Amino acid sequence: MKHILLGAAALAAIATAAYAQRPAAPVIQQRQANYKQMAAAVKGINDQLRSGSPDLAAIRPRAALLANYGVQVLRWFPRGSGPQAGTRTRARPEIWSDWAGFERAGARLLVAARAVNRAAQGGDIAAVRAAMPALTRACSGCHDDYRAPEH
Amino acid sequence: MSREPRVRVWDLPVRLFHWAIVLLVPAMWATHEIERMDLHILLGQILLGLVLFRMIWGLIGSSTARFAGFVRGPRTVARYLRGRGGPALGHNPLGGWSVVAMLLLLLTQIGLGLFAIDEDALHEGPLSYLVSYETARILAHRHETIFYLLVALIAVHIAAILYYRLVRHDKLVGPMITGTRKAAAGDDAAMTPAPLWRFLVAAGLAVGGTLAIVRWL
Repeated sequence: MKHILLGAAALAAIATAAYAQRPAAPVIQQRQANYKQMAAAVKGINDQLRSGSPDLAAIRPRAALLANYGVQVLRWFPRGSGPQAGTRTRARPEIWSDWAGFERAGARLLVAARAVNRAAQGGDIAAVRAAMPALTRACSGCHDDYRAPEH
Repeated sequence: MSREPRVRVWDLPVRLFHWAIVLLVPAMWATHEIERMDLHILLGQILLGLVLFRMIWGLIGSSTARFAGFVRGPRTVARYLRGRGGPALGHNPLGGWSVVAMLLLLLTQIGLGLFAIDEDALHEGPLSYLVSYETARILAHRHETIFYLLVALIAVHIAAILYYRLVRHDKLVGPMITGTRKAAAGDDAAMTPAPLWRFLVAAGLAVGGTLAIVRWL
């Protein structure tokens, strides 16, 4: 009985150690999934703006998601979820070495996403259209500084 | 100085198309590499027009431009591979299929690009709005795969040109520039050029078709 308990404890320790080696994996995967949702939302809004008769009902939930994620985005990057985490990520170490700069980039995203969302919830297509370029600039500006190239 | 008799092989539209592709395919690669996707997408639409033109020219163009003149059955290709069958004016039976493969790959590549989107949804092909983000991303990955197939076919194409030049002492690049080559014994009838109005019809259809696809669809 004692041996079984010891064995179980050892197994548990090994399992814990194996898990602890990459505690950041779920965080990284989740934020990558979130960014994909944001890109899909941007595309969904652009598709509507492009059509002859933009559908506000299609724009609103996407604008809300962007604003909502704009609030969260900094929390997706806990210390230790960078390239050293063992999971493939293009998050550059500068995110953490220059956290103040990263915060400013996050704030730009939040301001831009809120402007898009305000216009969308207010039903003003022209204002949505006018607010989108600042949002895409916020996206690519941060990617230029804090995301490694694809290859 | 005696002038050797020369025979016309390629008309001007075929040659211009060929060299435009030689310039544009590397330009497509380069504009992607330097992240000038605005130029990449613009050049892609010009390429679409050129390939559409070549497909139409393959139906109504000069004799050596026409698919009916150079797309041959497997028996003819096999005979050519065994070294039999006379010299061809224009594409030989094997090269004809490489032209078909090249045009199909280009068309597939351009078609995928029309629907593709980058991962940040910042740059998209003119028809990307017709599909979801997820689908557009899958098509963008296919766009990358086809690029490598295209590079492989271009490598085969250049290797074949070198083979003809070094082993068979047949220079293929010059004729693609001048449109003529040295007349050879056994040349069948010379190239039959197409009148200008056919070129105007093909060019008009290609431009109209391209605009219809990228603007109105």
